Amino acid sequence: MSGRFPASHAAFLGIALAITGFILWSALSASTSLNNLIVVAPAALLLGILALCIVVAALRKQDAEPAPAGALGDLVLLAGFGIFCYALTHVGFDVATFVFVWAGIVVSGGRSLWVPPLYAAVFSLALVKGFGSLFPYPMLTLVL
Amino acid sequence: MLDQFALSQAFGLLFSSFDPWIWVIPGLLIGLVFGSIPGLQISMAMAVFLPVTFGMDFLQAMLFLTAIFTGGAYGGGVTAILMNIPGSSSSIATAFDGYPMARQGKHNEALGLGLAASVVGSFIGYILLLLLIGPMAALVLKIGPMEMVVVVLWGLTLIATLNDSSLAKGLFAGFLGLVLSQIGMSTTGIMRTTVGNPHLLDGIPVVPAMIGIFAASELLRLRGSSYLVTDEAQRDISLRRILAGVAETFRHPVVLLRGSLIGAGIGAIPGVGSSVANLVSYGEARRTSATPEAFGKGAPEGVIAAESANSSSEGGSMTALLALGIPGGAATAVLLAAFSFHNIIGGPSFIRNQTDVVYSIILGNLGQVLLLAVVGLLMLRVLGMVVRVPLAYLVPSVLAMCAWGGYGITGTVAGPLTVAAFALLGWLMRRNAYPVAATVIGLLLGRMMEGELVRTLQISNNQPMTYLLERPIALVLAIAMLAVLVGAPSLKALRARKARRAGH
Repeated sequence: MSGRFPASHAAFLGIALAITGFILWSALSASTSLNNLIVVAPAALLLGILALCIVVAALRKQDAEPAPAGALGDLVLLAGFGIFCYALTHVGFDVATFVFVWAGIVVSGGRSLWVPPLYAAVFSLALVKGFGSLFPYPMLTLVL
Repeated sequence: MLDQFALSQAFGLLFSSFDPWIWVIPGLLIGLVFGSIPGLQISMAMAVFLPVTFGMDFLQAMLFLTAIFTGGAYGGGVTAILMNIPGSSSSIATAFDGYPMARQGKHNEALGLGLAASVVGSFIGYILLLLLIGPMAALVLKIGPMEMVVVVLWGLTLIATLNDSSLAKGLFAGFLGLVLSQIGMSTTGIMRTTVGNPHLLDGIPVVPAMIGIFAASELLRLRGSSYLVTDEAQRDISLRRILAGVAETFRHPVVLLRGSLIGAGIGAIPGVGSSVANLVSYGEARRTSATPEAFGKGAPEGVIAAESANSSSEGGSMTALLALGIPGGAATAVLLAAFSFHNIIGGPSFIRNQTDVVYSIILGNLGQVLLLAVVGLLMLRVLGMVVRVPLAYLVPSVLAMCAWGGYGITGTVAGPLTVAAFALLGWLMRRNAYPVAATVIGLLLGRMMEGELVRTLQISNNQPMTYLLERPIALVLAIAMLAVLVGAPSLKALRARKARRAGH
């Protein structure tokens, strides 16, 4: 056992197993009938066994695979995306989209001073008037 | 098999005036646009434009709505190829090889492959429908939960073949999808967790989850690059190269024909349809290929298998609608609504009394498929422009559309938040070489599997194996599945061992 276990891999397995454990626990608490557990119980059991196999295989590996770079930038954009998704129905589809697209272009390397906000404004307008008009649901907007 | 008199009447209905065809090209364009925007569903397009058909006569309305259906099925494949965003669950397998081809600068060829496979697949699907609508309807009536369990199991076996680095990781990703599909109320009405969110009562919405795990996580990976296609010389939209892709499709006739037959067969099963058909077809193409290792890295056969199957399943799904009056999915449910608006009830009496109308719908669809080839070729030049957009602009724009698409599906904040949660999951999975497609397949088929298994247990009084012996179609399907999954590889291994021994 000489290999290293990347933190992001441990995080993924931890999250996956925690979710699995929670879903299994909730299913067991709801009912222990065969009909209720027919998929979740065997799948959760196999997930546990597979996780063990994956961990052992990774630790046995002599050369640990290098973790891909750029995790921080990705996480910043992911966090921004999560906030944007929440803000859509709380701030307004128009403003949330405008701010997210503008910031996203700048974070992704857009250098011009005026093109990103102009593009974000035109794009948001097109989405609200085009995409939004096709929604069969009410859509919250702040400005448009 | 064919009623000659009704057939000649159908030709008369279709070609005595131009009226039935007026709305076909607009329908194809609407379908292509809706299909290629993540979150805009084909069924949504059909529902939005359903009121437009109220002023049309029945045949005109049918051709318009089915044109949206046909265009949308192909549109979903375009974004799967260009951006790794399957427009719907029926295009999941298209992304497996289409997107790697696009990243290698072969987007023109991949789009050509997809278009030709779609056109041929749809054509075969509708020809089969025309010839076999009577017998197929009788067969569909004999399909019960046991048969569905076998078909869904066949789709699930694809999980084992999807692995970026190890089999254990592929299986882990697939079983994670199965477990996630168990959130919310069970098929028997037992309340499992909703993670405190009442919007998850019916489980995790699959399309927003698919958009998040496929698209959003991939877009994050693209962040560091400048364009989708790195090589500037490869970024052009070339009709010549698209046509080369079209020609390449016909160099794999077995894959094309098998995909089309699988699609038509599975598509006819109400409730299963194209979502499973493209996965089974892709899995079979990979299993029987001489170079299975090329799959997932840009194999043309992968695109052909997936697109031919999802397109031919359209003809299959019309079987239950026309012959039995049962909608197999959301899109055919909208068609059924159009039926009722025009005082037409699908089913055996419709086929018996109005055979000419049934034939004209099918023949009209065959005509539409040919028009799709022309419209598709023209539209691909526009849709393919996406490779010329700098990623600094494309990534946030498409991410925003992904979130909007999530809202478009659910109508609540649960949609965009599902996209975001699955984007994080997809990002973690891709970083650690887990196949995200396996999780989507598990999520998509998990609930279907549970429902059919429970129904099978109830019908068979908890004796599924005894019940299997009483179901000839299920038995044949199960034997075929075992022969393909276990028998063929064992035979291959045996032959290889014999050849090695002979060599020594």
